Amino acid sequence: MQCKELEAVLEHEGLTPLPPAARAHLAECSACQGFLADLTTIQSLAHELPAESTPPDRLWISLRAQLTAEGAIKESVELSHATPWWQSFTAWLKPRTLATAGAGIVLVVTAVFLSRNPISQPVARISYSPVSSRATSTVAPPAGPPVESSSKTPRPSPTEEAMANGGLVLNQAELDVPNMQLAGNSTVDASLRDNLRTVNEFIAECQQHLKQHPGDLLAREYLESAYQQKAELLAAMMDSGRSEH
Amino acid sequence: MPGTTLGGIRRIRKGRSAAIAQLARQRPTEPAAWSEAEAIRCAQAGDAAAFEFLYQMHSRRVYALCLRMVSNPADAEDLAQEAFLQLFRKIGTFRGESAFSTWLHRMTVNVVLMRLRKKSLPTDSLEETIDPDAENSGPKRDVGAADLRLSGAVDRVNLERSIEKLPPGYKTVFVLHDVQGFEHNEIADIMGCSVGNSKSQLHKARTRLRELLQEQVRDQARQDRQAAKSQTGSLD
Repeated sequence: MQCKELEAVLEHEGLTPLPPAARAHLAECSACQGFLADLTTIQSLAHELPAESTPPDRLWISLRAQLTAEGAIKESVELSHATPWWQSFTAWLKPRTLATAGAGIVLVVTAVFLSRNPISQPVARISYSPVSSRATSTVAPPAGPPVESSSKTPRPSPTEEAMANGGLVLNQAELDVPNMQLAGNSTVDASLRDNLRTVNEFIAECQQHLKQHPGDLLAREYLESAYQQKAELLAAMMDSGRSEH
Repeated sequence: MPGTTLGGIRRIRKGRSAAIAQLARQRPTEPAAWSEAEAIRCAQAGDAAAFEFLYQMHSRRVYALCLRMVSNPADAEDLAQEAFLQLFRKIGTFRGESAFSTWLHRMTVNVVLMRLRKKSLPTDSLEETIDPDAENSGPKRDVGAADLRLSGAVDRVNLERSIEKLPPGYKTVFVLHDVQGFEHNEIADIMGCSVGNSKSQLHKARTRLRELLQEQVRDQARQDRQAAKSQTGSLD
C-alpha cells in the first residue's frame, strides 16, 4: 500500500479501525503515522468542544413574540373557555384570604346576636331553591303545614341540615347589614356589599346545582366554602361598622 | 354550619385542588411529560407550550452550531432565531420522514449557509466547498512533508481558532460530525449530499485543520525564536 492509498482508506473508512494492509503500511511509514496521529488529535480535541451552548433568554422571548404576531401560535389551552362554573369563584376567593381571620369572629358575633335576638319564627323547612341577592327567601314562611312536603322529598342529611341552618344564621345576620353604616368610606362599603351580593349569587348557583345533582360533592364543598366566605364578609362588615361607630 | 373554622379552610383548599386537578385533566398532557412526537403534534396545532418545549429541547444545539459557524454571538442569535422561525412556520409540513432533529439542523444549516453566501466571503469560494461533486476540490496533502506532530502542541483554543478559518462547507460537516456527533447518513440528510461526500468533506476538513494548526504551531515557534533572539540581543 502507498501513502495515497492509505489516505483514501482514511477518507472513506474513517480513522479506526484500519484494515490490515493499512496497518502494515503505517508500521513502516513515519509520515503516515504522524498524519494519522494528527487527525486523531484533532478528532479527540473536537469531541471536547461543547456541542451545546445556552442561548440568551431573549431569543425565545423574541421568537415567541414574532410567532404570536404572525398568528403561528396560540396559548396552549384556552382555560378561560373551558373554565368550570366554580372557577370564577375560586379566583374571587383568592384575594379574600385576609378575611379568613374574620371567620372566627363572625361565629362569636352571630352567636351573641342570636342569644340577644332569638329567631322568633320557627323554620318549617330548609329550602334549597335559588336565593335572591339578599338570600332571605331561604327562611320559609311560618304558615302552612310543615310536614306535608317533607314526606314527599327526601329528608336532608345531618350535614345538609347543619349547613342550611348555618346559612339561615348568616341570612339573619345579613338582615341588619343594609341598615348598617359600614366603614364610612363609600368605596369600601360598595365593595363589601358588592362582594356580599356575589357570594349570595354563588350560593344560589351552588344550591341550584345541588338541586339538580345532589351527589356532586365538589359543589357541596363549594357551597360550604361560600358560606364560609359569607361569614367572613359579614364579620368584616360588622367589624368595619363597629370600628367607625 | 360546618366548616367555618379550620375544617372549612381545609375544605376550601381541598376544593381548590380538586378544581385544579380537573383543569389539569382537561389538558391532554403536561409539557414536562411530552414526548417529542406529542410536542410536534401539538405544535402543529399551534400550541405555544409545545413550541416552547421543542425550542427548549433543541435550542442549545442549534445555537451552538450557529455560534460555531459564525463565531459571533449576535449573528448566531439571529441565525438561531431565523432557523426556529422557519421551523415553526413549516412545522405543519413535517411528516416524520426524517428525524425532527435532522430536519431542524437541515434548516439551520441552510439558514447559516445562505447568510454566509450573502456575505460572500472573499477568501473562500462556498460553491467550491459545498458542491457535492467537488470531490477533488480539497486541500492537497504532501505526504512526505515534514511532520510537526500536533499532539501536545495544540489545545482547544488553537482548534477553535482554526475551525473559524475553515471554509463553510468543511466547517459544517466537521462541526456536525466531530463536535455535535452526527453520523454520516444524518449529515448527508442535513446537507442534501451523499454519505460518501460527507465522509470526503470531513476528511478534507480534518486535513485542512491540520494544516492550519501546523501554521499556528510554526508561527508560535517563530515568535518564540524572535523573542528569544531579541532577549539575547538586549543582553549583549
